[in-house]
Amino acid sequence: MATIQTQGYTLDDSGKRIVVDPITRIEGHLRIEVNVDKDNVIRNAVSTGTMWRGLEVILKGRDPRDAWAFVERICGVCTGVHALASVRAVEDALGILIPKQANVIRNLMHSTLYAQDHLVHFYHLHALDWVDVVSALSADPKKTSELAQSISPWPNSSPGYFREVQNRLKKFVGSGQLGIFANGYWGSKAYKLPPEANLMATTHYLEALDFQKDIVKIQTIFGGKNPHPNWLVGGVPCSINVDGAGAVGAINMSQLNMIGDIINRTIEFIDQVYIPDLLAIASFYKDWAKIGGGLSGQNVMSYGEFPDIANDYSNNSMLLPSGVILGGDLKKVHDVDLKAADQVQEWVTHSWYKQGDETKGLHPFDGVTDPNFVLGAKTKGTRTNIENLDESAKYSWVKSPRWKGNPVEVGPLARYIVAFARGNKEITEQVNMVLKTLDVPVTALFSTLGRTAARGLEASWSAHKMKYFFNQLMANLKAGDFATANVEKWEPSTWPTEAKGVAPCEAPRGALAHWVKIKNTKIESYQCVVPTTWNAGPRDARNQIGAYEAALMNTPMVNPAQPLEILRTIHSFDPCLACATHVMSPEGEELVSVKVR
Amino acid sequence: MRVEPVSGRVISGPLEDVYVYEAPVRLWHWVTMLCIIALGVTGYFIGSPPPAIGGEAYDHFLFGWIRMVHESAGVILVVAFLVRIYWAVMGNHHARSIFYVPLWSGEWWKALKDQGLYSLFLKRESQLWVGHDPIAQASMFFMFTLGALFLCVTGLALFAEQWGWGTYWMMWFGWVFVLFGDPQMVRTLHHLAMWYMVLFAFIHIYMVFREDIMSGGSVIGTMVNGIRMFKREPRA
Amino acid sequence: MNDTYYELMRRRGISRRSFLKFCSLTAASLGLGDAGAQQIAQAMQTKPRTPVIWLEGLECTCCSESFIRSAHPLAKDVVLSMLSLDYHMTLSAAAGQQLRENALETIAKHKGNYILAVEGNPPLAEDGMYCIYYGRPFVEVLREYAKDAKAIVSWGSCASWGCIQAAKPNPTQATPVHKVITDKPVIKVPGCPPIAEVMTGVLTYILTFDRLPDLDAQGRPKMFYSQRVHDKCYRRPHFDAGQFVEKFDDAGARQGFCLYKVGCKGPVTYNACSTVRWNEGTSFPIQSGHGCIGCSEDAFWDKGSFYDHLTTLTVPGLAGVEGTADKIGLTVLAAAGAAVAAHAAVSAIKQARSKTRNDQVSEVEK
Repeated sequence: MATIQTQGYTLDDSGKRIVVDPITRIEGHLRIEVNVDKDNVIRNAVSTGTMWRGLEVILKGRDPRDAWAFVERICGVCTGVHALASVRAVEDALGILIPKQANVIRNLMHSTLYAQDHLVHFYHLHALDWVDVVSALSADPKKTSELAQSISPWPNSSPGYFREVQNRLKKFVGSGQLGIFANGYWGSKAYKLPPEANLMATTHYLEALDFQKDIVKIQTIFGGKNPHPNWLVGGVPCSINVDGAGAVGAINMSQLNMIGDIINRTIEFIDQVYIPDLLAIASFYKDWAKIGGGLSGQNVMSYGEFPDIANDYSNNSMLLPSGVILGGDLKKVHDVDLKAADQVQEWVTHSWYKQGDETKGLHPFDGVTDPNFVLGAKTKGTRTNIENLDESAKYSWVKSPRWKGNPVEVGPLARYIVAFARGNKEITEQVNMVLKTLDVPVTALFSTLGRTAARGLEASWSAHKMKYFFNQLMANLKAGDFATANVEKWEPSTWPTEAKGVAPCEAPRGALAHWVKIKNTKIESYQCVVPTTWNAGPRDARNQIGAYEAALMNTPMVNPAQPLEILRTIHSFDPCLACATHVMSPEGEELVSVKVR
Repeated sequence: MRVEPVSGRVISGPLEDVYVYEAPVRLWHWVTMLCIIALGVTGYFIGSPPPAIGGEAYDHFLFGWIRMVHESAGVILVVAFLVRIYWAVMGNHHARSIFYVPLWSGEWWKALKDQGLYSLFLKRESQLWVGHDPIAQASMFFMFTLGALFLCVTGLALFAEQWGWGTYWMMWFGWVFVLFGDPQMVRTLHHLAMWYMVLFAFIHIYMVFREDIMSGGSVIGTMVNGIRMFKREPRA
Repeated sequence: MNDTYYELMRRRGISRRSFLKFCSLTAASLGLGDAGAQQIAQAMQTKPRTPVIWLEGLECTCCSESFIRSAHPLAKDVVLSMLSLDYHMTLSAAAGQQLRENALETIAKHKGNYILAVEGNPPLAEDGMYCIYYGRPFVEVLREYAKDAKAIVSWGSCASWGCIQAAKPNPTQATPVHKVITDKPVIKVPGCPPIAEVMTGVLTYILTFDRLPDLDAQGRPKMFYSQRVHDKCYRRPHFDAGQFVEKFDDAGARQGFCLYKVGCKGPVTYNACSTVRWNEGTSFPIQSGHGCIGCSEDAFWDKGSFYDHLTTLTVPGLAGVEGTADKIGLTVLAAAGAAVAAHAAVSAIKQARSKTRNDQVSEVEK
């Protein structure tokens, strides 16, 4: 078997092949295949997006003011991020400026999602990789209480409280119907928490499940529902009226109070439950600060997010800065230009699409998405019953985006590294606090654990920013600023015949942008390059591997039949696959691509 | 006076006045006309509401009135239509003519061709007709009768929506939504059918005036007093 | 030992008295009377948890996300005490092979007694390989798991109608579940996503009464989908008054006027949004100032802009020619007007000529 050298890794597919399909506790459909050597260390990793919906053809010819609703359905977990990227892109194309308050409300909605999405990810999508639910049954509730009280002032921490939860779990497990916990990897040697920590974390799993639904009520107030709140080109759809006639018909004092209350409770929950749990769990898994780093120590990218100044998406305004770091050089941060033809490009060499010259990448404004489901010669199994994929040929519905030809990692960790390198004070302080608490070097960031920690820190940062945005909202209201939508260019008759636009966005999972072209008031082409495409994408024409594959490399597994280690690292990225897929045109005409995160 | 029985063409004299439209038919005609005017105007406003008015909701019921007029006129139209169907059975030969087109009759096709040539100015003068001429009968059937039937059914279905699924109304009209896929499509088609009816009314009014002046028989007066009077002899 | 809902409530400090009160309130709200209350109480005290296999096809996971937003009952309680959610892509601890074993075990143990919940839908083009499960087409797995199910719950508009990926031109040939599985009862719970409490409400109804809910002609539970958003909308008085929002954030918008003129689809959408509302009754789209986009209706993506309330029709045979009913009507009417005018003009000339001729004839006769 030939080995491949790339980015400092040696890909060797000679060992035993392990397939994990489907990967659970993610959004969408993902398959991972790895080869392990005789010591059960991963020596080759293959990441395959296994679904494709084709939203881009569907968008062709639609009203650009409607596009947000279509693309919002790319993903229901990080709900709303595509809608936000969409309205920003359409506004950029049509030259629409949104009112100050609309910007604040969008920031508030978006930071709300950050807080809720990160919380749900940590407890419901990721925690079971580290927490043994069955072990929690043997915990001493009194000691659990002591542990909880030693790390946090959170009031739900009495021995009786933990005993109650434990009894409930005992009954649940005793019923023989384990439901969502059925057939987990309980008892594996890879689990290292003492029973008390397991009970505490399992309790908080349930508490977080109850609480997360409250956080999103902020989106419900401004957008009417969650998942999938409503947005508006030119601002936000909600009007504000605090003291005029009919105030109860708009955003009013009672709802503003509710928002303020939810924000306070969100800050409390994240700072008193999420962060202490994260640090407590991390302290038992410090070995994972050396595993799963993948591209994070080399190439990371952020588009920047949370514009403090309405309509300004430059680093002058972004609270989380944009930038690219290459080769792990934190001293040099490259600037991102989404319109530059040589920066963001996508390859389909190993993806189930075809284009003229597959050794070249295409900028999203010129992208082609023409599906081509073919399997390589070394595939095991049949076309509709695949046992092992052949990664030397096409093997994923996800494309391979590259920045100036480089694979990069995106996500909370990438944002934090960029912000750190750009000298952002708040972020630097947070990072230093964690490094100090866990007593690990800065390189510990570049790991599975680092990724998970960065997400937790960002959840806390977002919760506090919710408050910041809410205070801005109230201050503006006091100054008499009520405008939430700019409808000057609402009517299509006011638009130019042709326009194109793109604007940056950072979804909870990483860098996101939509490229839209408008012609005769209809969408001419629409493309999204989404975070999970950056991370989950297959190899490119030069055989460079993407973030998932890189992060899995050289990971030791306790028991290859139980893919716990694979889940840990993959989950640390918070995959969202519904998206990472393009769209096509019916007869293979040129098309646009909508990938969704 | 000899009359061809299917098409109603007067074959030869001596001419006499004929009692064509009985009182229920005439009454129905004018009631329906009023309903259609009311339905058209209010229906248009339901599709494109007038500019918003301010103030408190309890001070106004403008749109409610518009809809109430629309729905009332609609219900009257439906009832009148049902009575009309009853009369088609009970009344004279002419009471039935808008409910069918005698496609099976060679005489009728011949008459249609004749009247068609006349309408296209390829023939100088029209035949005399006791009831509807063939073009009038076809347009009454295809545009008015079928159009009105479609409007009544979709209108009643939209009316039924206010009661919701599981009610008698929906038991009778729920199939309309299943047939057309969804309520919005039913609304849109109902709206489109309104234009079809407006188109009919437009052509209808033009033709009756024209024929009243140019054909050999009375037209407008017939719908007032029911009697067809002839002004000249039939032509070959 | 099975954990029943009653035991759960007792453990949470709810007395038997309050428990029975809860049952009678539930029964009353469902219109069931005393006998119903006893039935609910009985069911909650003795029922073991019903196994559920929850598959995800082409979808965005918004249905699962909505499900965990349920407040009454809490998603936690549904999962721990009411159902046995044995297979769930987003929540299950097990992955890969271990997850597959869960499904197989549930099917073997509970043949004919488990519920198959489907979020998303199967694509049929490209041999079904636009959605791959275990290296196989999703549609195969769906058929396999549906075979021994008691009933199928189609979550959301994807499973019920096709939704976004089935919007024109439906490149993957995404197909709603009931068109693939035709030999099982299918309960459609549409919406993008459905309301959390509607989802848990449908499930708890099935568990409590041990029967499937009464469905309307399109397969939706009547209890939540028999009336339009418009029928119980709190802005309805403004609709009747003729008070509309003309543009976003205008004076009417700030007073909560009716959104009909900015395209609200409430009058054509069957859903419980205006009554149950969203996220524990916090709000719903119309309340937040944006019209309903009709997300629980079939093909709501393909009816023209969300900001028009009538469908944009495509004129058959004229590719790319689109219009609303008004445009089409006016165009045809204008054409008819021109034809009539021409016809009238020719008629007038003819009439004049024939009159002249008649006059001449009369003169000759004289």
